[in-house]
Amino acid sequence: MWETVAQAVINGLLIGGIYALVSIGVTLIFGVVKIVNFAQGEFVMIGMYISFFLANQFGVDPLVSLVVTMPVLFVIGVLVQHFLIRRVLGPNDMPQIFLTFALSLLLLNLALMLFSANYRTVHTSYSDEAFHLGGLYIPVAKLIAFVVAMILSGALWVFLHTTDLGKAMRAAAQNRDVATLMGINPNRVFCVALGIALALAGAAGSLLMPFYSAYPFVGQVFVLMAFVAVVLGTLGNVIGALVASLMMGIAESLGIQYIGADSGLIVVFAMLLLTLAFKPTGLGGKAR
Amino acid sequence: MTKDRTDSVSQKTGLAQTLSKRRGRREFLIKTGGMLAAGAFGAVPLRGWAAEPVNIGALYPTTGSMAQIGVGCVAAAKLAVEMVNDAGGIKSLGGAKLNLVISDVQSDTTVTRTETDRLITGNKLSAIHGCFASALTLIASEVAERAKVPLITGSSSDQLNKGRTYTFTPFARASQFAQAQLQMSKLVGDKPKVAVIFENTAFGTSTSNGLKELAPAEGVEIVMFEPYSAGFTDASPLINKVKASGANALFSVSYLNDLILIVRTVKQVGLNIAINGGSGGFVIPDFYKNVGKLAEGLQGVAHWNHDMNPDCEKVNAEYKKRTGEFLFEYAGGLVAQTFMIADALERAASADPQKVREALSTLDVSSGYAAMAPGGKVKFGPDGKNIYGRPVGVQWQNGDLASVFPKEDARAPLMKT
Repeated sequence: MWETVAQAVINGLLIGGIYALVSIGVTLIFGVVKIVNFAQGEFVMIGMYISFFLANQFGVDPLVSLVVTMPVLFVIGVLVQHFLIRRVLGPNDMPQIFLTFALSLLLLNLALMLFSANYRTVHTSYSDEAFHLGGLYIPVAKLIAFVVAMILSGALWVFLHTTDLGKAMRAAAQNRDVATLMGINPNRVFCVALGIALALAGAAGSLLMPFYSAYPFVGQVFVLMAFVAVVLGTLGNVIGALVASLMMGIAESLGIQYIGADSGLIVVFAMLLLTLAFKPTGLGGKAR
Repeated sequence: MTKDRTDSVSQKTGLAQTLSKRRGRREFLIKTGGMLAAGAFGAVPLRGWAAEPVNIGALYPTTGSMAQIGVGCVAAAKLAVEMVNDAGGIKSLGGAKLNLVISDVQSDTTVTRTETDRLITGNKLSAIHGCFASALTLIASEVAERAKVPLITGSSSDQLNKGRTYTFTPFARASQFAQAQLQMSKLVGDKPKVAVIFENTAFGTSTSNGLKELAPAEGVEIVMFEPYSAGFTDASPLINKVKASGANALFSVSYLNDLILIVRTVKQVGLNIAINGGSGGFVIPDFYKNVGKLAEGLQGVAHWNHDMNPDCEKVNAEYKKRTGEFLFEYAGGLVAQTFMIADALERAASADPQKVREALSTLDVSSGYAAMAPGGKVKFGPDGKNIYGRPVGVQWQNGDLASVFPKEDARAPLMKT
């Protein structure tokens, strides 16, 4: 009995780490630039395809390809901010919503055209391995993904709290106008925020590749969970998104175990609704 | 509604005919330098003594989500036509060659309707084969029924045998697959305890319900029956449940991506369980490419397999030479279908679609390429169903899909994992 519960919690925690990478990106962009990036899932997809082709063509291990996907996605993020999002930042939210939504559709269909709808998988020596502890097992690939995800989240936290640029980002997030008055260049800060957020999405893609298939719609699977985590963990709160993601992973896993495999998400959404009912700003405390 | 559709079909027919006649006339005028009688003789074949080729329509999705399989089907269809033609064509029609008219149905139901219509009205077809996916075939068959052109298909939907007179299904029906799967589970152990997991879609629900209904009669105990949401991120919780159920066989009614996750997770958990993945995406070369060694020992069911008899192996060798991959279920089946059409044309001694239909309805073969079906016999009942039709049980062994069930079709013993 306890074994089943413990296994469900382990499973949930491990997949929660991946949700965290995606949701931290979404919440960071929202916190700093104040836009909702609907295309975040598609950047995970791009990360997966980069890892897939590196593994397939050059035999690069997906984990090693992190050093490619993260910088590439960082640059894409900077370009997206500088050439697209910057143009629509204004008092009206609508153009921003449509911009990222259109970007999502564009990338999705581009991937369909270029890569077709086929599933692509990568085999690594550790893809199918697991550590066994008593009756419990921990899949190696997922454990690695979880650990790397936690390291990246930690590094982001340190960056935001100790470096000037990180502090500037938090300042811009708290009050853009005052930050500008203090000599902070908002576009530069926004570019870095987008870059970091997309780099995290790219990292999620590379980390997923050893145990999940790449296909054009793959981002949609993760972005839904990311949005729930962002709201649950208070919009714009990085630690909140991280904690919420892990909680959701566990809730989903327990839901599948004890309610039904087609209703794991019921638990997740029930958790979201209950949290919002009693704490409308989310778990992370005060809004913004 | 139905009336409107019929009208529009006949209008299109008329329009297409005038168009093609006009185009033919213009070409003829140019070629002959303006003979006034051209219009009247436009339809006479210019080749003179050579027998007029017989047009066979082939409807397959060569673009869109099902493209990969569709492209394989077209390669097999071309191979089959070449084989018929190289063997001397249709002798009763003066050695007439088969001419394959291929149409891309784009993995889309709407396109399938218009393309089938266009194919039939734009060409003088004697018969059609297609379309791989049941959802597409159902539509193509509707259009072919109205146009009175026989359609022969490997699609397994039982609905294709209802209220149709021009549709022929030489292979096992969806309802027969479940029974074969249950019987295979008894090969693994005397007392099979089966866990059924299925995606909560129409496909998953109907297939799994079929399994549940037939299980008691086959003496198979179902210890777990669980739907899941297709496209999950993690199969671990589900496999956790399978483990807790104490099952010794797992039936997974899933599409490729979910199945890959399930198979990997079973391996990670270290669960010793015989997995049967059913049919569809499970029995194509791509599956092994994606799953790799883990696929070894996995079981499935198919309506055709490339090692069932020496004829199948011969066709497979040729197909492999051309494409580099083994001849998969659907593509292999349509090679047999092409030979069934050729057999019917031979006996009908006519390219007229209605006469071809008559000849197909009295088809009775038990040897040669036309009889490449599990059981080795094809004869259609009044519902267009092959009365000898049955699926073949298969298992991935050393990167190849081996026929393992029933005994008559088996080429390798079942590997007990």
